[in-house]
Parts: sequence; C-alpha cells; structure tokens
Amino acid sequence: MSEILFYLGAIMITIGGICDLFGALGLLKFPNFYIRLHAATVGTIGGAVVPLFGVGFLALGADFLPHKYAIAGASFVTGIIVLLAAPAGSHALAYAAHKTKIVKWEPKCDHLEVEE
Amino acid sequence: MKRLVPLIIMLITIFGLAYHITPKLPQQTELRPLGEFYLENSYFGDYSAKSPEVVTSILWDYRGLDTLFETSVFFIAIIGSLTLFRLNKKQEEEAKQKTKEFRVGLTLVIKSVTRIIVVMILAVSASIALHGHLTPGGGFQGGSALAIAPLLIIVAYSKYALEENGLDKTMALILRSVGLLGMGLVALIPLLSGGFIMQNQPIFPVELGGQLVSGSLIYYNFFEFLAVGAGFTAVFLLLAIPEKIFKKLLRREANE
Repeated sequence: MSEILFYLGAIMITIGGICDLFGALGLLKFPNFYIRLHAATVGTIGGAVVPLFGVGFLALGADFLPHKYAIAGASFVTGIIVLLAAPAGSHALAYAAHKTKIVKWEPKCDHLEVEE
Repeated sequence: MKRLVPLIIMLITIFGLAYHITPKLPQQTELRPLGEFYLENSYFGDYSAKSPEVVTSILWDYRGLDTLFETSVFFIAIIGSLTLFRLNKKQEEEAKQKTKEFRVGLTLVIKSVTRIIVVMILAVSASIALHGHLTPGGGFQGGSALAIAPLLIIVAYSKYALEENGLDKTMALILRSVGLLGMGLVALIPLLSGGFIMQNQPIFPVELGGQLVSGSLIYYNFFEFLAVGAGFTAVFLLLAIPEKIFKKLLRREANE
C-alpha cells in the first residue's frame, strides 16, 4: 500500500514539474494576454495543485515520517484552496481585461466571426 | 546556440554539486553545546512550557521583550498608516456611503469561490495560530493569513459588504486593541505572584484537560493572531476607500 502511494505521489510531482516547465514556456512564447493567462493557469493547477496532492500521497505512504497525517492534511487543504482560487483568479483577470478593453483583441482564428 | 551556453553551465553546476559535493558535506550527528543549553532550558527546564517547537518557546518566553519590540514596530507602522488616512467622524460616515457608480462586486464565479475560500482561510489561519506551540508558525503568521479573508471579501464584494456587516475600521481597531491588551496582560500577570515579566511562569498550566497548551504560549499566539489580523484589516479597509471620495473630502477640508 505504501509503495503504491509512494509511486503515485512521485508521478504526480513529476507531472507538476513538467506542467511548470510548459507553463513557463507558454508564458514566454504565447502571442497575447488571454493565451498567456491559459499558460499561467497550467502552471498553477498542473504545477502547484497536482504536486501538492502528490506530496500528500507521498507523506501518507511514508511510514518513517513523524506527523505524516498533519503533513498530508496540510498539503491536501492547500491543494484544494489553490484548486479553487486559481481558476477564479484567472477568470477575474480575463473578465477585467475584456471589460476594460485594455488588452488588444487579436484573434488568430475567430469562429464566431466566420459564422456571422 | 549562444543562449544554450548559460543553461548548460547552470545544469553542470547543479548536477556537479549534487553528485560530488553533497556526500562530502560533514554530517551533524551530535548536539552542539549551545543547542543543548537551549533545549535544557526551554524544553526540560523547571519553568518549561513543554513546547516541542523550541523556537516559539524561546522567542516568546525567553526573548519575550525582544519579540514585543519587534511586534511594536509593526503596530507603529499600522498607526502611521491610520494617521495618514485620518478622517473625522462625519467624513468617515461619508466614506462609508456607496458611490453612485458602485455596482455589486465581481462575477458570480468569483463570489461563490470567495465564499468557500474565506471560510477555509479562517480555519487554516486559526489552525496556524493555535498550533503555534506545536508546529512552526504562530500568532504573527496566523494573523497574516487571517488578514487575507477580509482582503478577498473587499476584492470580490467591495468594502461596503464588510462595513454593513459590522466590521468597519473602528471595530477592527477595537479587536486589535483587545489583542494588544491581552498580550500585555499575559506578560504582566506573573508579576502579581512574584514571577518575571514576559516569561513562561508556572502560573499558566502546561496542560488543560490532557491537551498540551504550553503555558503562556497559546495565549500569546491567540492574542497576536487577533491583533495582527485586525490591524491589517483596518489598513485594508482604509486603502479600499475610493480615491475619488478621498480627494473630494480632502478638497472640501482645504476650502473650509
């Protein structure tokens, strides 16, 4: 049981590292604000929530660790808070940017425009 | 290619350090005399709070005055910003009125998420503060986390939502003063029965009903939690007054 939790946690932390890398690349390379916001959210959800849950599983599986339930509980609670807050935050940013028209709207491909 | 060179150098340095230098670092196997002294006096001593988090116990009980003055620097900063934003009673009432352009907060998504997260933040910050004698963290950290909750409500719902529910600047200042008063009382009570100021004296019980509460530490942590959280809230409420209203009030004052 503890081995399954260990490998699950390790895989989730690795996924987190990969997501952070892709999020950083996206922030540098994506063309406009809205798509960069997507990259930033990949960085927070994939790169912070998933590894936090991974740390929680890892801590549950580690028999040698003192206070392992406290560590796992703190990781899960922090993960859930970030999981709720990150999408709401990027929603607020995108909404505000769209509302105030500060960001230049340059769609590469606008399906709605074609249909109209 | 030129841009890859720094990356390669960084990678080589990191892996080199990890593989060749880390195993050669000397391992600390014995307790050093200074650490032993602190452990003896803060955990095993006669007047000990029996707190497993020795740093907290040393900070509050053995370097209490030092910590008190560090905390007072923070409170002087808060008093300074309150002075910058000082308004008389009438002006304060006027700043509480909703402006004409005020529309009700942000979107439904953000409001619902805020409602859930504020409750979670309150629970987490209370746990940080009240576990201060068991785990790293304590009153100041818990209070800083607590201050996030009103800040989120100000952003998502506006400051009027807070003020209409009773948490205005005066209330925040009262809570902050209660916190400071509590800290002062916990520090001074041992003097009444011949103890020392700002130290964990046997007056405060180490355990309450089988639970480790570590003497005076939990009271210090709780009151600091209250004081820091309420102090930050007061400043956030002042900062949330729309600039337009503030300028209008100031201009009127200058004309009178």
